[in-house]
Amino acid sequence: MTFHETILPNGLTLIGEHNPEAQSFAAGYFVKTGSRDESAEVAGVSHFLEHMLFKGTAKRSAEAINLEFDAIGANYNAYTSDERTVYYGAVLPERGAALVDLLSDMMRPALREDDFTLEKNVILEEIAMYEDRPPFKVFEEGNARFYGQHPLGRSVLGSPESIRALTQGQMLEYFSARYASDNLFLAVAGRYDWDAVVAQVERLTRDWRPSRAERSYPDLEGATGEVRVTLPNLSRAHTALYAPGVSAQDPLRYAAGVLANVLGDGSGRLYWALLDNGLADSASLSHDAADGAGVFVGYVSTSPEGQAEALKIYRETLQRAQEGVTEDEWRRAQRKLATSLTLRGETPFGRLMSLGVRYQTDGRYASVQETVSQIMAASLTDADTLLSRHPFDQLFSFTLEPEPT
Amino acid sequence: MNPAIHTHTFDNGLTLVVQEMSWLPSVSFDLLLPFGATTDPEGASGSAVVLAEWLYRGAGARDSRGFSDALDALGVRRSGGAGGESTLVSGSLLADALPEALALYADLVRRPHLSDAEFGLARTVALQELDALDDSPTQRLFIALSKAYFASAHGRSHYGEADDLKALTADAVRQDAARRLAPNGAILSVAGGVRWREVKGLAEELFADWQGAGAPLPVAQVAQPHHEHIAAKTAQTQIGVAYEALPPGHPDWYKNALAVAVLSKGMGSRLFSEVREKRGLVYSVMAVGRAVRGYGYTLGYAGTTPERADETLRVLLGELVRLREGVSGEELERARTGLLAGLVMEGESSGGVAAGLARNTFLFGSPRPLETVRAELSAVTLGALNSYLAERPEPHFTVLTLGPTAPAAEKVSAVRA
Repeated sequence: MTFHETILPNGLTLIGEHNPEAQSFAAGYFVKTGSRDESAEVAGVSHFLEHMLFKGTAKRSAEAINLEFDAIGANYNAYTSDERTVYYGAVLPERGAALVDLLSDMMRPALREDDFTLEKNVILEEIAMYEDRPPFKVFEEGNARFYGQHPLGRSVLGSPESIRALTQGQMLEYFSARYASDNLFLAVAGRYDWDAVVAQVERLTRDWRPSRAERSYPDLEGATGEVRVTLPNLSRAHTALYAPGVSAQDPLRYAAGVLANVLGDGSGRLYWALLDNGLADSASLSHDAADGAGVFVGYVSTSPEGQAEALKIYRETLQRAQEGVTEDEWRRAQRKLATSLTLRGETPFGRLMSLGVRYQTDGRYASVQETVSQIMAASLTDADTLLSRHPFDQLFSFTLEPEPT
Repeated sequence: MNPAIHTHTFDNGLTLVVQEMSWLPSVSFDLLLPFGATTDPEGASGSAVVLAEWLYRGAGARDSRGFSDALDALGVRRSGGAGGESTLVSGSLLADALPEALALYADLVRRPHLSDAEFGLARTVALQELDALDDSPTQRLFIALSKAYFASAHGRSHYGEADDLKALTADAVRQDAARRLAPNGAILSVAGGVRWREVKGLAEELFADWQGAGAPLPVAQVAQPHHEHIAAKTAQTQIGVAYEALPPGHPDWYKNALAVAVLSKGMGSRLFSEVREKRGLVYSVMAVGRAVRGYGYTLGYAGTTPERADETLRVLLGELVRLREGVSGEELERARTGLLAGLVMEGESSGGVAAGLARNTFLFGSPRPLETVRAELSAVTLGALNSYLAERPEPHFTVLTLGPTAPAAEKVSAVRA
């Protein structure tokens, strides 16, 4: 593996991890923009814009973009989160230049009015689809309540009202501010010729300009306690849980990840407390180390009548962990995480995602081996430091449950 | 560079399939056990799913907790579960730990404790998972569509039925395990940074003296095509369609695969283009080829808000019917390029390769090397594909909808006529 990094004169950064053994090539633009960077008036614009980047450029119609992706045999898509928007594809190496050409062109979309109007319907359908998915919906609503006014509480999809009200002009303005050469970067992985990639991208992006886009980092004062909301047409009780964690910049983030695994992975403590015995059909915990603020995030799904008991056990399990975890548990969790990372690194496509997210977070490269070493270096002392803050005493839960019968 | 695939069938009927991927530090395996909902005893649906859960709850020298901890200590990422015709016991891990991991899995399938105490828990878990489906309309749709489509046991829900699950006893499932949990017809696929000789030796040591004939699979039979609606208070109407395709191994198999790719592979495909891009009717629409042993079919899906359900169904079915009129040269080339690239990329991941080896060996009787598939796909000409499509019988759809209101029945029949 060889790491490549080049910054073009307009501020656009290109990075690559070359793997001579790879049989494919993956590329993606990572834009540092997401729902946390939106104002309430334009809620959902990041995600809607992601759709619009597939709807055509000065050179290509929407249909041309789709047909070209398919013609080069790409496995491709895009996603929007609270923190970033990513456009990616993987192809055989001989189609790499075509993929980079297409993705780069998409970063300068036409944002035509008729496409904007038609695509609104698709966004509204996507919102309706998630209405029918309570495990998703509970986080949409739970986030808003836990984070309060903090930008991380904003909905990625927006609401039907905010989407209907959004104008093409508002989207253009948002686009100009966020899709600037210094607020996104291109990452590639697999088999490629670096000099050729750099020359091609430099030519394609010569007109891009920096915008010095900013992101705000207010302090996070997460909610505590319990909130319950009843919904008609629900069968199960779905609970989202939140407790203070550490940010992506915090050296303890690896330990927080291992700790979450000890507790909430498929065979962690929550499994034995709630799933082994069938008290819940789902019970998990992970750690989300976001830019500037981190949170432990959990989920439980149970029968409506079993919810109170399950939630009590969930809380107790986490609180008991604050007394400490064992060496054996810690080692097992580390090993599981190291294996997962290694498996993800098997393909250029898997590597692209880890590579890009890591680079966006840290501004530097980390190989699979380095990340594995960092996980293995996280110590029980680190865990004790985290646990001595008693994060789980502040556990906030938000439950969606059926109306009582 | 396409690594050779090695296979060996032991005297007890267990087939070992291995692909060496020497550059990988990791390895994945799939142990496909030929029991599932399809061979659940009559009136005892859910036996397979309970058994699959029960197996993990203590085996060999370890109790449930000890077994789980031992897998975790090796860093094994587990997956699998009970399906229709088979149950998968799968794992991914660092290659050096494979011998220890496979030894644990040999305990799991050969020396499970199947204790009374753990049985109740395994059944409770199965019931919980069944109940959880109530909040998942798309899964409910596909379960109902299978039931509607098949006349044979292939239509059974993999989750079992609540009444049957509640009536299961430990003794009955233990007896069932003695009948169905067997090496005959089982497949162990392994892909990653391992050597064929070593894996073969290991499998021989762990599995060669395992005995059992297993249960025969029934022949798939379909019901008369029809239209059903399930009333549900959902935001979107779920639309599912099933119709006959080709059995695995049919000489025209790859023509059908290319035709389905024209319909649904990529955002330039017909369904995505006509239903979503041109009309904005849905977020999600697709068609996918499915197969059980000896029988193949195509599933179509779209999710849309109720007021657009009529039009969505009409456009969806219209595209499925229109396929018989043929495809263009560009469409064929895009489909072919996409399938070939997908094969190469799937071939880079140990999990993807292991899953493909097991699935193909089960359905086709052999693992189908990449070169064979590439040659088959490359050989299909536009003329041959369009002749094949023109000669296909008119599709007869079983249509299932789930949502607040039933789409107008005439939309379905109008397209069929």
